[in-house]
Amino acid sequence: MSNGKALVYNQEKCTGCRSCVTGCSLYHDGECGKVVSRIAIVRNERFGESFVVGCDACTDAPCAAVCPTGACHMDVAAGITKIDANKCIGCKECAMACPFGAINMHYKTGKAFKCDLCEGRAEGPVCADWCPSGAITYTSPAVAFKAKRREKLVERLKAAKAGEEG
Amino acid sequence: MYGWAGQRLRVDLTTGQITKEPLSYEYRRKWIGGRGFNSDIIYNEVPVTLDPYDPRARVCFGVGPVSGTAAPSTGRVTVTCKSPLTGGFGDSNMGGHWGAELKYAGYDQVVVQGRAKHPVYIWIDDDKVEIRDARHLWGKFPREADQMIKEELGDEDIHIVMIGPAGENMVRFACTFNDVWRAAGRTGTGGVIGSKNLKAIAVRGSGTVKIANPQKMMEVCNRLRQAFKTDPMKMGLYEFGSLCLINVANRDGWFPWRNFQGGAHPLANNMSGETHSQTVLKHREGCFACPICCGRFTHIKEGKWAGEEFGGPEYEHSVPTGPRVGIIEDANDIWHNARLTNDYGMDGIETGGVISTAMEWYEKGFITTKETGGLELEWGNEEVVDKLIPMIAKREGFGDILADGAERAATRLGLPEEARYYTITTRGMTLPGDDPRGLGFGYGLSFAMGTRGGCDHLRSLCCLELSGALYTGLNTKILGDERGAKPVTTANKPYMVYYEENQKATTDCLQVCCFTTHWSYAVLTPDQVEYLNAVTGLDFTEEEFQEIGERIVNLERAYWNRMMSGAREDTVPERFLKEPMPQGVDYQTNVGVVLPLNEMLQKYYKYRDWDPKTGFPSERKLKQLGLDYVARDLAPLRNKYLSEAEKKKRKYYY
Repeated sequence: MSNGKALVYNQEKCTGCRSCVTGCSLYHDGECGKVVSRIAIVRNERFGESFVVGCDACTDAPCAAVCPTGACHMDVAAGITKIDANKCIGCKECAMACPFGAINMHYKTGKAFKCDLCEGRAEGPVCADWCPSGAITYTSPAVAFKAKRREKLVERLKAAKAGEEG
Repeated sequence: MYGWAGQRLRVDLTTGQITKEPLSYEYRRKWIGGRGFNSDIIYNEVPVTLDPYDPRARVCFGVGPVSGTAAPSTGRVTVTCKSPLTGGFGDSNMGGHWGAELKYAGYDQVVVQGRAKHPVYIWIDDDKVEIRDARHLWGKFPREADQMIKEELGDEDIHIVMIGPAGENMVRFACTFNDVWRAAGRTGTGGVIGSKNLKAIAVRGSGTVKIANPQKMMEVCNRLRQAFKTDPMKMGLYEFGSLCLINVANRDGWFPWRNFQGGAHPLANNMSGETHSQTVLKHREGCFACPICCGRFTHIKEGKWAGEEFGGPEYEHSVPTGPRVGIIEDANDIWHNARLTNDYGMDGIETGGVISTAMEWYEKGFITTKETGGLELEWGNEEVVDKLIPMIAKREGFGDILADGAERAATRLGLPEEARYYTITTRGMTLPGDDPRGLGFGYGLSFAMGTRGGCDHLRSLCCLELSGALYTGLNTKILGDERGAKPVTTANKPYMVYYEENQKATTDCLQVCCFTTHWSYAVLTPDQVEYLNAVTGLDFTEEEFQEIGERIVNLERAYWNRMMSGAREDTVPERFLKEPMPQGVDYQTNVGVVLPLNEMLQKYYKYRDWDPKTGFPSERKLKQLGLDYVARDLAPLRNKYLSEAEKKKRKYYY
């Protein structure tokens, strides 16, 4: 089994700084750039909005389901799908099947690549480690959901109270 | 090639010619990037006698070897031109993501020259560069043009540099934007871009930055990023933006109340970052690869301006069109004014500077409603400020006079010499919202010496005064001397400014944000040298790092010297030298302080090895820095500067 942790994205907190993108590309490819990053940021500058797009580690992963060669497969121990570059034929099916757009084709190899939770990095995934705003965390989803529940409840009660007073 | 993309893109808008020039190893080693590349182009290609709006003038956009990499905050761009505001050397620096995108597209620098027949924009799609029609974009706010360009090119993820209506109308302090809200505010770069009939430069970069030693780079960046997690400056800037300075400024008496008549106000907290984040903050924003994320996005919820949204404000951006013009009661007025200067594309500092100067002229009776076209320029009159900002941008009525900056406005209005006491400028440019009688004497010296004119809190950015008071031992670690670690003292300040000007110049060449290096001091020179070497695979040393900065400062200084600007112009507005700081709040720490500039100046010249009589760099220093050609340029000018005829000339450089 995996360690029970997953990457949890809190979209409200994303500042769009792409610290995650630089760290991800440097760690995996030894170069820096958006095109080799496993995580992406979508920015809407006009409205001051930014969003994280990364692998959500689906339980029933569409990327693995559509892979014709078995290159993209669920790694049960890691709790995330992985792509075996030797088996990948570069057909782009997984990239299109991913509901989030978290898979890309590598400009050098022409093969699909995706998040592997920075396999082997002692501090965990670099994106979560370097995120300055807490938008990306590497944690137990159950704990994250509980925290969110509490945060939202407090927010609602505060607003209701302010409404009564105002 | 590691780090650098290795080429300069040159676009001539008159001929439509697009060229890519390789940058040699020697050249890159000498100037590193960004500010260095740009300053070299301006010095060599733009004669000092040329009108800044002449088609032959250049405007340069530079990025550095670590731009686009994982080092902290690598998205900055320096925009450089001959300043239409000061007539001298001018540059300004902005964050956002455009700089990284340009690097990914494969360029270290873009130089634009000439003038298009009609409004155009440049589209850089990796190798493919084209000049496109922008007639339909002319007159649009940046946010509107951003949407139109992205729809036209069919890609929402590109990054765009652009100007607003003020730039098109050649307001002398129009600014340049990227990512809609990130502004290179100072020295009027936007007007130069507008004079070339250029609206925007859109970039899509699908390349990467190659790293010579990825393992080392990962190790350095990891260490620095961990340090930011617990850095107190990061926490303040992230939580409250640069507005976290408001309450500090008020305590230490550098809050620019009414054109620097005062340094503190009891209601300052109305516009503090603490208040802002609880009332109108919609979202926190980050420039490229930033571990701090001080950017704000504001949504005004109540009052007259309810529903207005904009990216910002910053401390320096909101203070001038707020307390500097006497507005403090309702912070929404201040946010609204900041929104206006953003949308019209004007430098908030200069806008507030000229309006507050005009208000003081009005108060002192130098001008009346006759000159202002009926506008009652009383302190704190939001109605008038709200009207004036668009008038300046469109060059209408009294706004047209102010659009030329405070010094030119005094000339155009035919005001007597005494009126210039109230223009808070050096070398023709307005000072930012930091009163050196409170923020620190080092800043005061820096204002006098800045190589882009009156700015200039960003030339030395000697936060070693303020941060130094917070972090015991920091001054000793960097300068080997703890005496300068408080704002209101002259001890060690000349050396501090000398050192930090050099340091900051090289930091500007790397195009990393000074909030990582000079505010928090989480990234020091050795760290910068470490990641620069990891990226480029070269062997830069700390000494070389300082020397490159010194070379750039001397080059930019020489540009001013060639315009007959030297020691006589190395001063700050008289107000700071003569008027003791009045008491604004009872907890203010600097009551009665004046700036003792002269005793610092002489020592500063010594550190610089500049002639104290002329303020020109010595021949020895220039040669030592590899600037023999600059020494040759200056040789015949030294005596000329001391001539009686020159002494009598008024120096506004236009």
